[in-house]
Amino acid sequence: MLFWPVVAVSLAGAAGAVFARNLVYAALSLGACLTGLAGLYLFLQAEYIAVVQMIVYVGGILILILFGVMFSRDVLGRSTPPSLGAKILGGLAASAVLVSAGRLAWIISNLPGTGLAATRSPTQTWEGQIASHSQNHLGELLLNGWLAPFLVVAMLLTVVLVAALGLVRKDAT
Amino acid sequence: MIEFLLSGPDRLLPYLAVSAVLFSLGALACAIRRNAVGYLMGIELMLNAANLNFIAYGRFRTSEAAAQGQVATLFVIALAAAEAAVALGLVFAVFRTFRDVDLEKVRTLHGD
Repeated sequence: MLFWPVVAVSLAGAAGAVFARNLVYAALSLGACLTGLAGLYLFLQAEYIAVVQMIVYVGGILILILFGVMFSRDVLGRSTPPSLGAKILGGLAASAVLVSAGRLAWIISNLPGTGLAATRSPTQTWEGQIASHSQNHLGELLLNGWLAPFLVVAMLLTVVLVAALGLVRKDAT
Repeated sequence: MIEFLLSGPDRLLPYLAVSAVLFSLGALACAIRRNAVGYLMGIELMLNAANLNFIAYGRFRTSEAAAQGQVATLFVIALAAAEAAVALGLVFAVFRTFRDVDLEKVRTLHGD
C-alpha cells in the first residue's frame, strides 16, 4: 500500500530538484527525493542503509548543498535560464539514457535462471530485521573482505577534510 | 503496464525503473543547470540511482549478495559525502574568484 506513494515522492522530488528554477526549492525537493529513497531501502530490507541515507544524505550533504545555494547570486534563477542548445542536447541524452536503461531493466528483471525474476516477499518485519544479526553481518563483511577499501576510504575522508579546509582558507589564492 | 503497477515492492522491476528515471533526471540536471550547486544536485541524483541498483540487485539474489550490495552502497555514500565537501569547497573558491557560481562565467581557461 505504502510502496507507490514512496516511489511517487522519490520521483517527484527528483523532478523538482531538476526543474525548479528557485534553487532553494530544488534543494528541498532533493531532500524529499533522498527521504523517499530511504523508504525504498526499507522495502528492500536494507534498514541500516536507510538510516545511513537519512543521516549522511538528508542530514549532511543536503545541509552542505543548502549552504552552497547561498553563494549563488541568482537563487531564483531569473537571469540564468539554460540555453536552448543545452536543453535540446540534455533532453536527447537524458531520454536516450532513460530508454536504454528502462529497456535493460525490463530485460534483466525478466531474465530466467538468475532468480531476479522471482517474487521476494519480506521474510521478517522491519522491527524483527533491525533486532536480528543483519547489521553485525554487515560489520563482519566490512572488516573482513572489504577491509582494504574501508581503510582507503577512511584515509580519503581525512585527506578530503584537509583539502576542503585548504580550499576555503582565507589566504588561499 | 497493469501487471507492472500490481507488482509492488516484491518485484525487481519497479526499483530498476525508479533508478533509471533518477539517473536520467540527474544527467538532465547536469546538462541544463548553469549553477554549480544545481549541477552538484544532478550528480547526487545519479549516485543515488546507482545505490538503489546495488541494493535492489542484491536483495533479489542471495542474502550474501544483499550484504555485499549494501557494503558497496556504504562506500558510495561515503564517497558522495567526500565529493560534496570538496565540491562545496570548490564552489566557495570559485565564488571568491569570480563573485558568482554561474558555470558559464567561469571561463578563465577558455580560449578566444
